[in-house]
Amino acid sequence: MRPLRSDHLTAWSRTFAVQGSWNYTTMVGTGIAYAVLPLLRRIYAGDPVRLREAVERAMGPFNGHPYLCAMAVAALGRLEQDEVDPQTIERFRTALRGPLGTVGDRAVWGQWRPICVLIATLSFLLGASPGWSVAIFLALYNVGHIAVRVWAYAAGWQAGLDVGRLLKGAWLERWAEKIWPLNILLTGAVALVLADVVVEQSAVSLAPAALLGMGLVGALLTFRFPRQGGRLATVLLVIAPLLWVLGGLVG
Amino acid sequence: MSWSELYLGPGTWILAVLGGGLLGMDAVSWPQVMVSRPLVSATLGGWLLGNPVAGMLVGGVLEVYALRHPPFGAAKYPDTGPAGLVAGASFAASGGVAMGAFLLSVAIGWGLGWIGTVTVQVRRRLNERIMSPAGELAADPALLEQRHRVAIWLDGLRGAILVAAFLVPSVLVVTLVVGTGPSTLGRYAVASLVLGLAGSAGAAGRSSAFGVRGWPLLLVGAGLGLLLVVGGLT
Repeated sequence: MRPLRSDHLTAWSRTFAVQGSWNYTTMVGTGIAYAVLPLLRRIYAGDPVRLREAVERAMGPFNGHPYLCAMAVAALGRLEQDEVDPQTIERFRTALRGPLGTVGDRAVWGQWRPICVLIATLSFLLGASPGWSVAIFLALYNVGHIAVRVWAYAAGWQAGLDVGRLLKGAWLERWAEKIWPLNILLTGAVALVLADVVVEQSAVSLAPAALLGMGLVGALLTFRFPRQGGRLATVLLVIAPLLWVLGGLVG
Repeated sequence: MSWSELYLGPGTWILAVLGGGLLGMDAVSWPQVMVSRPLVSATLGGWLLGNPVAGMLVGGVLEVYALRHPPFGAAKYPDTGPAGLVAGASFAASGGVAMGAFLLSVAIGWGLGWIGTVTVQVRRRLNERIMSPAGELAADPALLEQRHRVAIWLDGLRGAILVAAFLVPSVLVVTLVVGTGPSTLGRYAVASLVLGLAGSAGAAGRSSAFGVRGWPLLLVGAGLGLLLVVGGLT
């Protein structure tokens, strides 16, 4: 039986919880099974044996970006409806894992989320109220978030086995390659304005030119050596309050 | 500020713990709308203690630090939801002015974020048990749904426990340093945070860049930021 519109809506809404039972054995596999279940129940209505086999297949190890897992959920439902043989479904799942993770990570975690959060932070630093800044971030980010989930689900259901080909030249990938300069620009601007606000609030006298110069050199060095530089940044974060308290104690 | 002036009553504490539960769930389990980002969670913490501006300032710094830990593949990253709430609430409770309290709140938020990461890993191990045996769950899809929802609630419980355990101690510790004023060493403390911010921004920029060719953009961005500061727009 073909899934109804309400089954699709339930399956899509369940993709928001696809990582709910993430574990080291099946990763997001059990979440995929949870999300695709409304479709499988309709497709295998009255056939508990085939339903059980389909759920077991869906529960296998799988991983991918959580938003793009909507594509996997819909595509797997489509393959079950088209009665594609289990071996092909398994190969399909394996082939889909890599691209779903890479494309989603680069576009959503790597670009969209930082850009939205930096725009909101900058708006706060430029005088917007905390409420507005939070609203700007949540509204902007989630417009993109929901759009990706809707596109992924619809494309997955339509493309079925061809999802892999669809992901190769996906607009998300192309978009991420275009937008990253904005991300770095915003990072530099926010860090500098935020540092200025912190210095202003501290009421201590610092040599601004020297601090700016050291900050720029430090930022460029950590850009070149992100792992080591990042660790050093964490050390600086931790020793800052210790220095302050120590200074207060010794006068 | 003395401890007697501090207001963290049972009602606020309960709200914070409930908020911690929601923030704990959001990052991974449900619904991933990113209220768990430190910019949001720290502002929420500040708002609960009556000073959202203080919370957001803490959240902004934590955000620059968190941006260099994108959750690519199997990478570990700080659990910033409950941690941001505790950090933002702590600085707000201290009055939201003292630099010592600010520095300590940020450091506590960062440390708690990594404690949260350990609890996430423990929960993932627990999920292995909850979601097995596979055959039994496949035979009874209703049981699969039930167990999946239990796993989500456990994530919420994890976040709530983090806030319940750390909020009051953190507020008290941060309030302790409110009285410490600027000193010679204090200058180095502020410089340390500023340089840490710069370093994190560099690493965050690299994680979003396609290769090493983006470094001039980081400088241009800093130049734009400088223009905003010099132009008095901040």
